[in-house]
Amino acid sequence: MALNKKIAYIDLSTGKIETKPIPLEVRKRFLGGRGLDAYLLYNHTDKGVDPLSPKNTLLVSAGILGATLASATARTHIMAKSPLTNLLGSSNMGGFFAPELRWAGFDHLVIKGKAEKPVYLWIHNGEIEIRDASNLWGKTTTETQWAIREELNDDDVKCAVIGPAGENLVTFASVMTGIKDSAGRSGMGCIFGSKNLKAIAARGTMDIKIAYPEDALEYNRRFITQIVSSKVNQTQGTLGTPFIWGATNSWGGIRTRNFQYNQCEYADDIEPERIDEICTETMGPYHMAGCFGCQVHCRAQYKIPSGPYAGKYDEGPEYTSQGAFGGEPDCKSAVTVLTGNHLVDQYGVDNLEIGSIISWAMELYEEGILTSKDTDGLDLKFGNDEALLEMIRRICFRDGWLANTLADGGIQASEKIGKNSFGYLIHVKGMSNLHSDERATPALALGIATGSRGSDHLRSRPAIDLYHLPEEVLRKVYSNPVAYDGPLSSEHTSYVGKAWQVFWQELCYMGVDCLGICKYHTTFLGATLPNFEDWSKVLYYNTGLEMSPRDIWDVADRCYNIERLFNMREGLTRDDPKKGDTLNHRYFDEPCRRGAPDVIGAKIDRKKFKKMIDEYYEHHGWDENGVPTAETLKRLGLDKEPSHLV
Amino acid sequence: MAVEREGLSGAETLAKTRTYGKFRCHNPSCMGRFQPEPGAKRVKCPACGMEFRVHWIRPDFPRIRGPVWDVNRKIAQEALAALEAKKSAAKAAPKEEK
Amino acid sequence: MEPTGKVLMINYEKCTGCRLCELVCSVMHEGVSNPSRSRIKIIKWESEGLYIPMSCQQCEDAPCVNVCPVKAVSRDETLGRVVVDYDVCIGCRACVSACPFGAMGFDVIGRKVIKCDLCDGDPQCVRFCEIHALEYVDADRVSVLKTRDAAQRLSVAEKEGAVLLAQA
Repeated sequence: MALNKKIAYIDLSTGKIETKPIPLEVRKRFLGGRGLDAYLLYNHTDKGVDPLSPKNTLLVSAGILGATLASATARTHIMAKSPLTNLLGSSNMGGFFAPELRWAGFDHLVIKGKAEKPVYLWIHNGEIEIRDASNLWGKTTTETQWAIREELNDDDVKCAVIGPAGENLVTFASVMTGIKDSAGRSGMGCIFGSKNLKAIAARGTMDIKIAYPEDALEYNRRFITQIVSSKVNQTQGTLGTPFIWGATNSWGGIRTRNFQYNQCEYADDIEPERIDEICTETMGPYHMAGCFGCQVHCRAQYKIPSGPYAGKYDEGPEYTSQGAFGGEPDCKSAVTVLTGNHLVDQYGVDNLEIGSIISWAMELYEEGILTSKDTDGLDLKFGNDEALLEMIRRICFRDGWLANTLADGGIQASEKIGKNSFGYLIHVKGMSNLHSDERATPALALGIATGSRGSDHLRSRPAIDLYHLPEEVLRKVYSNPVAYDGPLSSEHTSYVGKAWQVFWQELCYMGVDCLGICKYHTTFLGATLPNFEDWSKVLYYNTGLEMSPRDIWDVADRCYNIERLFNMREGLTRDDPKKGDTLNHRYFDEPCRRGAPDVIGAKIDRKKFKKMIDEYYEHHGWDENGVPTAETLKRLGLDKEPSHLV
Repeated sequence: MAVEREGLSGAETLAKTRTYGKFRCHNPSCMGRFQPEPGAKRVKCPACGMEFRVHWIRPDFPRIRGPVWDVNRKIAQEALAALEAKKSAAKAAPKEEK
Repeated sequence: MEPTGKVLMINYEKCTGCRLCELVCSVMHEGVSNPSRSRIKIIKWESEGLYIPMSCQQCEDAPCVNVCPVKAVSRDETLGRVVVDYDVCIGCRACVSACPFGAMGFDVIGRKVIKCDLCDGDPQCVRFCEIHALEYVDADRVSVLKTRDAAQRLSVAEKEGAVLLAQA
């Protein structure tokens, strides 16, 4: 059946490999993917473990519905203690790796220890081999993948790899597969590097048995219609995620010049439509590509039209590359965005984090906190495209004092730089915020402040809050699968009911992450997309596992609490500016200087924000300090953790 | 469980509220829903006066490409000035209101 | 039943490379997710972003039919397809060697040769391909659509030529 995929325990220090089935009881409690990874991380790491030590445990997994007929079942999840935040590290990527891992016989890899010299894992039809990767060390992400295919003489091998950034232990290095699919957030590539693990290669021809093939096919057909008929996914399938950046910039929800402005004015050259024109000019009219089994096809193909990298093929750019290399550093050039996107893909580093951190350094430079002596003569001003692209390279190779300092991550760098540099760092728990500005949107501000992997838009963002949907529509979405009769507000400038929306979205996103489905296929950017009710059916048709929408909700609740327990164990406290559920003071003190009426002049109200956090804790069943209560843990069966079931 | 016997899911019933051809004004204090003329490159929100450049995903599916920068910037700044004038007036005479 | 004369038309330019066709094909025929058991396969040049779906051409004078030593492979004119009679097939894989497109595969789990059977007239790959890189059309449409494309290119070239001439 679909649930016979195994878990493998791999010790890179000793070379010992052990494979085991995953008990049904564990499946029912944690499903798979991110949820089961969270359980494994809590159970397989000791309190206070040094993220870069061999004792940190690295988890790589597919969702329980990976490669099945549930639409876009492509997601790979990677987890470990983060070297960037020293809290939970967790990241997720699309592409084709997770399905291949499942066809090769595995759902979860638990990787411990550290190899003596560079290695890669070769996973093939139930077998796992540790192979020498000395000849791969130093190669870029795509060079590595093509070299592995050549060595194994198989073009269908799919790899999760690191580039130079991961090798150089940049704390926000990504793990990548294909041209641009990246598990970028929280530095999982750095953990690969710390273990001397250059890549994981998988290829399999083993069955994933579908429980009810006919029903699975029919329901999937219906599911796809539902997904591709949404306006947001049709736009996504034409313009890719840049459309979100464009729309958000239109009203003033984009961070620019670190945190000085909330709108990148006259940025016509980096608008999604302009990027799309370049894709059409260089790759023809059909330039959108898709991840495994996905009909949204949000990934654009392009060649860099001019400049030093002219003619290079790449994919994307996503919202984050537009933000990182366009809006944030105020470089309003499509070629810069496309080039920056190419560099981060090749070096294997999180575009979001590196763009934010360079913009932070630019503000420090303009404020005189950093000088040209610190930058080795580089004129690190906003709007300096060349300096931006040069800093990307320097950080990935830790070239020079400043680059080496920034490569350690924002909080660590601020401790070295001093002089109130920390006050300028736009982060939560040490991870940089997305290039969006949440001062006019309290619900989104709450979401980033409380995200379990630090500041993040893919942990709980109630994006549909921006659409001013009628209250009855909101109620239809947010009162399932558990009843909610508290207040809800259509106004996105309001603080009312937002805590519930964030809580609901947290469990919704945990749900898709356990199943291994992409977030564009659930209630993220569109209110009409599937969630718990629909998952219950696809889970049954594909795996035979009978779980009600409420059961899946409870799994998500359980897994989110495990993540919270992990963070608590690693020192999270509510108001800690470095490790807490907090925002940079500028959210409360500096009003927005641009944007549409009601956005210009907006800032977050401290008192109301505090009350929102209180409410949010209450919905979770956590006390006023954000600690899960004994009663909550008992209700979720987490009162005896670590319980070492797997 | 036979698929064809199942009724519409919650998400599917919500899909009936979709409005192709229309979009919403990007002004958060307006959010008016309006329909641009087919093929129009520029529209003005009939409710609040903000102006937008339009991109057509398909001939029947428009989206807002971005603001007409000069126009919308002016509207926003006037709105902010009016709000601040109101605030300072309220501050100057807080008791008269009660 | 009247012969349909329909063919599977592949417009590779449109393909997004998602491989849903491989997934639905293996589920439809074998009840499993396993692209190695799919009758259609997307060949990729990832470094160039090129994805090309490959499947049986249902040849009129098919090498697989001609090469089969036990006459297990034959043409089914009702659906205009080439079919394998598994009661007769001995699994020698001569057809796999003979196929010029690599469209006759060997299922390592089912231990049998496999090829596209057009799902008995309702190809699931077509049904699930939202971008219509795969279409099931009357045989004459294949060339008509290509002719139309070529004609349009000619027409554009002619107009551009006229403009250049006018400017000269």
